[in-house]
Amino acid sequence: MEIILAPIVVSVISSVLALIIVVVDGVVNNYGEVEIDINDSKRNLKVKGGTPLLQTLSSQGIFVPSACGGRGSCGACKVKVLSDVGPYLPTELPYMSKEELKENIRLACQIKLKKDIKIYLPEELFNIRKFKGIVESLKDVTYDIKELRIRLVEPNEANFKAGQYVQLVIPPYENIKESTQRAYSISSSPSDKNHIELLIRLVPGGIATTYVHKYMKEGDVVEVVGPFGDFYMRDTNADMIMVAGGSGMAPIKSIIFDMWERGITNRNVWYFFGARSKRDLYYLEIFQELEKKWPNFHFIPALSDPLPEDDWTGEIGLITNVLDKYLQNIIPAENPKEGYLCGSPGMINACVQVFDKHGVKDVYYDKFA
Amino acid sequence: MMYPDINPFVLFFASIFTSNILLTNFLGMCSFISISKDIKSSNGLGIAVTLVTTITTALNWLLEKYVIIPLELGYLRYIIYIIVIAAVVQVLEMVIDRVSPNLYMVLGIFLPLITVNCAILGVALFMQLRNYSFIQSVFFGLGSGIGWWLAIVLLAAIRKKTENAPVPAPLKGVGITLITIGIMAMAFIGFAGMINVR
Amino acid sequence: MKMTPKYIRAQENMKPGKITADGFLGNDDRNIVDIIAADEEEFEYLGLDFVEVAKLMRKLVKEGLKGLGEPIRYDKWEIRVDEARGFLPCPFQDGIFRKRVTTVKNLNNGEEIIYSELSIHLLAAHHFLQGKGARFRLEPALIKSVLYE
Repeated sequence: MEIILAPIVVSVISSVLALIIVVVDGVVNNYGEVEIDINDSKRNLKVKGGTPLLQTLSSQGIFVPSACGGRGSCGACKVKVLSDVGPYLPTELPYMSKEELKENIRLACQIKLKKDIKIYLPEELFNIRKFKGIVESLKDVTYDIKELRIRLVEPNEANFKAGQYVQLVIPPYENIKESTQRAYSISSSPSDKNHIELLIRLVPGGIATTYVHKYMKEGDVVEVVGPFGDFYMRDTNADMIMVAGGSGMAPIKSIIFDMWERGITNRNVWYFFGARSKRDLYYLEIFQELEKKWPNFHFIPALSDPLPEDDWTGEIGLITNVLDKYLQNIIPAENPKEGYLCGSPGMINACVQVFDKHGVKDVYYDKFA
Repeated sequence: MMYPDINPFVLFFASIFTSNILLTNFLGMCSFISISKDIKSSNGLGIAVTLVTTITTALNWLLEKYVIIPLELGYLRYIIYIIVIAAVVQVLEMVIDRVSPNLYMVLGIFLPLITVNCAILGVALFMQLRNYSFIQSVFFGLGSGIGWWLAIVLLAAIRKKTENAPVPAPLKGVGITLITIGIMAMAFIGFAGMINVR
Repeated sequence: MKMTPKYIRAQENMKPGKITADGFLGNDDRNIVDIIAADEEEFEYLGLDFVEVAKLMRKLVKEGLKGLGEPIRYDKWEIRVDEARGFLPCPFQDGIFRKRVTTVKNLNNGEEIIYSELSIHLLAAHHFLQGKGARFRLEPALIKSVLYE
């Protein structure tokens, strides 16, 4: 009798305790239904609590920008929260400025929805959609840049401003166990509503670019979220001085061809394309063709370190020096000018300094770096 | 069977000061040394340990009186006590995660490690060994927990104050902490013997 | 040093696919606390100071930026700074860093090291030089020969 008693007693005690744990788990982890009040009840969502705000909103079709897919490494998903969601998490603080802390700006991917919440989202955000598409073509344009052309399937049409960017969804692959997202500027023009074209440069060790260069194939189903961004042509008559190299050409190409297609050709447009040597250049012909048709458009590719076999007869030097030379001697000083930049923070800073030297105050650049 | 003739309030006071589970009995050391680096987390852990100690001592007393002794299952005592402690810690962890995710993240692995904090099993066994009544057990459990909490917060405060002190290199970190604990224990020894807890 | 929750979390974040595709641990099977302890010993043996090394590395990045992606010559080094879009968070969750990669070649002995903004932070704030076999692992001996010879 004793032999059975011991296991029975221990089992009963364990079972009772396990039952208690299950009940507590059900209570504690059930956040119930949570209401999200957006823009003072302009939109009201009733959702299941417990997931971070970013994912919850995207499951409801509202896409807050995120360049890292909700992992807490880009700081792009900032949202103004009007109700209490608890103290700042250590994962949010590195991204917040003092003003943002005062305004109660939080990272949407870090705040879990435990109770009703009131937030403010800028109007443009409601225009953003998740698109499903097919990889129509994936071509090398240089040794490290691929042109990815996506045919949109659902929805099959996108409305965006030339210069904006989308977030490309990268599915899990190899060691990468979670889906992630990365931002890329659109290089096709808005008139091509059924396609999105991106220029993607291979970054060694990069999660997204490695996928695009080594694993993505034509015919693959792909998702993009967008459009985002406030880099676009400003509606003035000023001369447009545009500088971009490498994959930075994407938004610039989109803006230039959009202007051409819509007949906005009375403005002077200068595009400085900086590269190291001939193998970094691409799309030269389409821009040179455009130059012939559009008198006010000037295309200036410049190589900083051409190889002898390149037989380069164009401009030589660092792009900032070439820019400086043209602003000094060739572009009429009396015209009002706007700067449009796309590139690394280092290049942008250097160009801003050159613009500043020549009195160009309105400089726009793609800020998602 | 006679319970020892000690007033529960006296027992309560004694388990905090004169018979402090950490500084007099040296039970519950590992998280004591690791978490006492920061006062806020020490506070959090102290509250958690107090809750677990009180609840488990009470539950274990009930199980001792109504299951273990009547069914003569003394040889199952340790496994039953430990299962109870583990379950209570599991529940506490879930509640802390919900109520204060910050504290949950800060305590990290030391929250589930409360399960094997020898102070808690020690308190339950002392309760059984010394044959305390239910009220005595609850006060003893609560007092021991508070004593542990007090000790860890005191150590955290001392460590904060001596943060910038010029400690000789070989003693930096755990070395000087253990010495500090030893000195604290000596201070508390002054209390021992003041009150009889048996 | 013990594998406290902070180091356990950091080591999780260093695995491939979490922050970078290849991770920060290479093919090292030691835990990061052991890696750090071993490298701290190496540094002391070689007479290197983490803060001073980081200062010099930062200075070289500053000079290298002037090249706008091209290699430049500064003192006894050739430095090239490359940059990609976006940020990388530190595995210890105490900051985010630009994806800026610097290659420094010592022109006297031809040795070269490669490091990112995050590498500098990991070296200075956490004494972590990455696991053996990792692309951005900084061998103490190599640091010494590139920066100080």
